[in-house]
Formats: sequence, structure tokens, C-alpha cells
Amino acid sequence: MRIELRAVRKRFGAAEVLKGIDLSVPAGRRVALIGPNGSGKSTLLRSLLGLVECEGEVRLDGRSPFDDRREVARRLAYVPQVAPQLGASVEDVVSLVARTRELAPAAIVRLAERLDLDVEALRGRPFRALSGGMKQKLLIALALAADASLLVMDEPTASLDARARERFFALCDELAPGRTLVLCSHRLEELRHLAGHVVSLEEGRVTYDGPAGDFLGGRGLAVVEVATTSLEAAGWLQARGFRTGLRGWWVRTLSQAEKRELVPELARELGPRMSDLLVRDLETVEVPHGGN
Amino acid sequence: MTSLAREVASVARLDLAEVLRSRWMVFCGAVYALLAGAFVLVGLRESSLLGFSGMGRVLLSFCHALVLLLPLLALTATGQVVNRAREDGTLELLFSLPVRRGAFFIAVSAVRYAALVVPLVVLMLGMAVLGRLAFGQEVPWGFLLRAVAVSAALLLAFVGLGIAVSTLVRSQARAMIWLLTLWALGVALIDFGLVGLMLQWRLDPRTVFLLAALNPVQAARMALLSGVTPDLAVLGPVGFFLAHRLGGAGLFAVGTLWPVAVGLGAWAHALRRFQRSDLV
Ligand SMILES: Nc1ncnc2c1ncn2[C@@H]1O[C@H](COP(=O)(O)OP(=O)(O)O)[C@@H](O)[C@H]1O
Ligand SMILES: [Mg+2]
Repeated sequence: MRIELRAVRKRFGAAEVLKGIDLSVPAGRRVALIGPNGSGKSTLLRSLLGLVECEGEVRLDGRSPFDDRREVARRLAYVPQVAPQLGASVEDVVSLVARTRELAPAAIVRLAERLDLDVEALRGRPFRALSGGMKQKLLIALALAADASLLVMDEPTASLDARARERFFALCDELAPGRTLVLCSHRLEELRHLAGHVVSLEEGRVTYDGPAGDFLGGRGLAVVEVATTSLEAAGWLQARGFRTGLRGWWVRTLSQAEKRELVPELARELGPRMSDLLVRDLETVEVPHGGN
Repeated sequence: MTSLAREVASVARLDLAEVLRSRWMVFCGAVYALLAGAFVLVGLRESSLLGFSGMGRVLLSFCHALVLLLPLLALTATGQVVNRAREDGTLELLFSLPVRRGAFFIAVSAVRYAALVVPLVVLMLGMAVLGRLAFGQEVPWGFLLRAVAVSAALLLAFVGLGIAVSTLVRSQARAMIWLLTLWALGVALIDFGLVGLMLQWRLDPRTVFLLAALNPVQAARMALLSGVTPDLAVLGPVGFFLAHRLGGAGLFAVGTLWPVAVGLGAWAHALRRFQRSDLV
């Protein structure tokens, strides 16, 4: 499904949350929407779904999610950021989605199973009594089962463990190639797996719209930790922005590009004076103002 | 099944599950049980004191309890249904599915209305049978049907008003204030309430009469009592005046149709606003 946004603005009371968004996503593209908390990502996704009304134009394959809701809604699926507090049972929720989307409940159950969620065992439980991870798995299964041409996911793996995330990525890999995917995320892992394209949002404006590789290359954060007992080495580390960590460890958080320069330099300059060296990539992508 | 009917049925199932699990259901059951209990107790005492005429008095107090409590029940059943669903993310999930906003509105209104009316009808019939078996009294079918019709109309009025509050007032806390105010106005603006006082305060009697006549609670009360002979002491000044103008049948018709009109009007207005409002 093709997405077209023109001069989209959204206010909540006095606060303008989206300040004129122009965006064009061709059918089949997989887009990651990234930006600090409160930059308007969720609001932008909701405007695609017609959940909030905004100024400007939102078009999905040329149709408005508000005025042509009937035709559009069938072809959309959504994983919300926050799971609803439904008192209805898991079975009721599954059957609601199955009935309104005209799906077999078994298709949803099978997808949930692949995410390690046993819907049959939970069928009588109130939806809101599930753990955060269980709710998220079920919401993902409900959305993926829809076979929609636009899949919108708002931080879908925030409460999944590493194993469930792997399984989620595997499911996404099986999606038909023509499907458009829009995803909010801070996790590098997720972005690398799922998105070929990045749109970055800051304070309600688009600040980057292009290939994911170019954007992520410089943005992933890394942590370098050095253990040393040498005073001289400590001085050298301090001068390069390291802070003292636990018991003789020095720590610095830096970009990928900086990491690639610093590690060889460490080896050259400190060499045997380092008693240990630890380099790891952080899981979240760098966001300009604070972030998650 | 048409697609709208299917959407309504799907949402209704979900909302029914919600209602059946809610604390409100316990509250509703308690209020109805209280009504029934009071009815039986008073009935026992009055029938032994006053013999056959006891039923009339019991019914009168029952009528008053009914018109005071039903609006409260209807408002608590509906006054937070839309804003809570918005706040807790239910609307967000629901309207990412091919479900029309109108379907949701119809479904929750119908479920809440049924949750109020069905137990009441069962309760009334149960009491009638009990009255017959325990007190050996004739079942007052005429009155019973009248009471069911009036209760249904009154509940409709306040279901409509409650849904309107929960749609138009976004915050649940402020909605609660609105609901209590509506209920207080409804019970105050009836003949044995503030009206007498307001007349004593020398407010313009026509204004006071008009306010009372527009009040769906007052309308329902008049309709309930429209079967008895017009008596100033029972009907109060507004009811007495209208009873003489309209006659018993007219009073009954106005007293049931007006609350229905109020409820449907409020509901339709809320639906129009809901069609284009933000769902988060
Ligand atoms: N329904 C709402 N009412 C009022 N303000 C809102 C509402 N939804 C979002 N906001 C505000 O809009 C801003 C952007 O929110 P959101 O789109 O959720 O950001 P993000 O998903 O990027 O963290 C925040 O300041 C938030 O408080
Ligand atoms: Mg968000």
C-alpha cells in the first residue's frame, strides 16, 4: 500500500505535535520511524490509521483513512504501543478480530504459537491479566494474521525477550514482499532486520528520510570499557572522555565511527597497560534529545 | 447478516464480557436486590396492617424508589464507557479493525441497556409472582406493564445521557462530576423535591413548572402514577396540572415518550461527535 502525507499537522490543545509532515512511501517499502520520546511517532502512526484527525492530507493508495474507512481498514493491521486493558477473555479478543476480519481463529492461534504463546491454554484468561510480553505476542499474532497490505507497528518488541524477538523477526521475514511496513523502534537489531528505510522525526518534523544504512551507520552507539591499574593510562583515558566505572574500569559511550577509530588507538597507545578491554554495541539507536 | 450487524454483534460480545466481569454488575445486582427486599418487607408489613389496600401503598413507594434509583444505575453503567475505552487503548485496537464507529456505539449502548432492563423485568415479574404466592394478592398486570414500560423509557433516557457524557467529557474524573450533577438535577426537579422549595423561594412558577415538566425523571414518575386517580398530594402540582390537561392515557404517553426522546437525542448528538473525534 502506498502512503502519501501532505502538510499533516496535529494539535492536542495548545501543543502542536505534528508540524507539517510531508512523506511519501511507495508500496512494499519497509520504513522505520525513529525519534526521541514525545517527537510524535505514535501520533503519526495513528494518523495513518484514522485514529486521530489531523489537518492536511493522509492518503493510503489514494484513499482517506477517515472518509473511506470501510475500504481502507480491511487492508491495514496495527500493533499498538500500549496494550488495551480489556477485561474480556483472550478467546473473546481472538474471536473479535477473527470475525471482523473474516479470518479463521486457527490462523491466529498458529501465529501465536510460533511466538511461543499458547492461546488455547490462555483462552479463558482476561486479556488484561496477561503479562506484558504475552499481550504483545498476541497483538502481533492478531496483526500478522490479517494479511494486510499495510502493517503498522508501534514498538512491537518493547516487552519481548531475546528469543521471542528472534521468532518475531523470522515471522516478519516471511511477509509477502509487496507489503508495506511502518515500524516505530529504538532497537538497532529491529531496524537492521526489518527496515530498509528510515524516517527520523524530531519535535514533529521529519529530519531524515532515506536509506537505513546511511542513517544507522553513524548512529548506533557502542560502549568501550578498559581495565587498567596504570596511572598514566588512566590519565590518557580521562583525556579521551572516559569516566571511571567499577573497580579500575574506565567507560565511554560513543558512536560507531568513533569506536572504529578508538579501538586501534587503544591497542597502540596503551597496549599491555590494559589488563582487559570490552567493546559492545548498544541495542538502541542514538536519538538526538534523550530518547528511551 | 449484514456487515454492520456483524460488526455490532462482534463488539457487543466483547462489551458483554466486559460488563459481566465488572464491579458495576455487582452494584446493579445489589440495588435491584435492595429494591426487591424493600418491596417484600414493606409488602409483608403493609399487607398485614392494611389488608388488601396494602399493595397500593407498597407500589407507590416502589415507584418512587424506582424513579430515583434507575437513573443512577443507568448513569453509572454508561457514564464512563467511551472515555475509559479511549483511555485504556480499547478504542485504538478496535478501530484498527474494520469496525465502524457507529457499530461500536450501537453495540455498547445496546449491551448496557440490556444489562439494565433484562434483570429489572425479571425482578418485577418475580415480585409479582411472589406477591401472588406469598400474600395471595392478584397480580396487578396493568400496573406491572406500565411500570416496565416507564422503567424502560427512563433507563433509555439516562443511558443516552450517560453515553453522551462519556463521549463528550474526555476525563473520567470530570465525567463523574457531570453524572452526579445530572442525577441530582433529575431527582431534585420533581414534585416532591426541590420544586416545592423553589416555589417557596418565589421563583417564577412557570419556569419551575417548565423545568419540572422537561425533566425525564418527573415525566416517568407521572407516567407511573397516571393510573391512579389524579390526586394533588400524590402527583404534586406539575403532575396534577398535566393530568388534568392530558388525562391518564395522555400522561402515560407523554411520560414515556419524552424520556425516550431525551435519551435518543443525547445519544444521536454524542454519536455525531464521536464519528469525528480522536480515539486516543
Ligand atoms: N491524546 C493525546 N492528548 C494530548 N496529548 C497527546 C495525546 N497523544 C499524544 N500527546 C502528546 O503528543 C506528543 C507526542 O506523543 P507521541 O506521538 O506519543 O510521541 P512518541 O510516540 O514519539 O513518543 C507528546 O507530548 C504527548 O504528550
Ligand atoms: Mg510512542
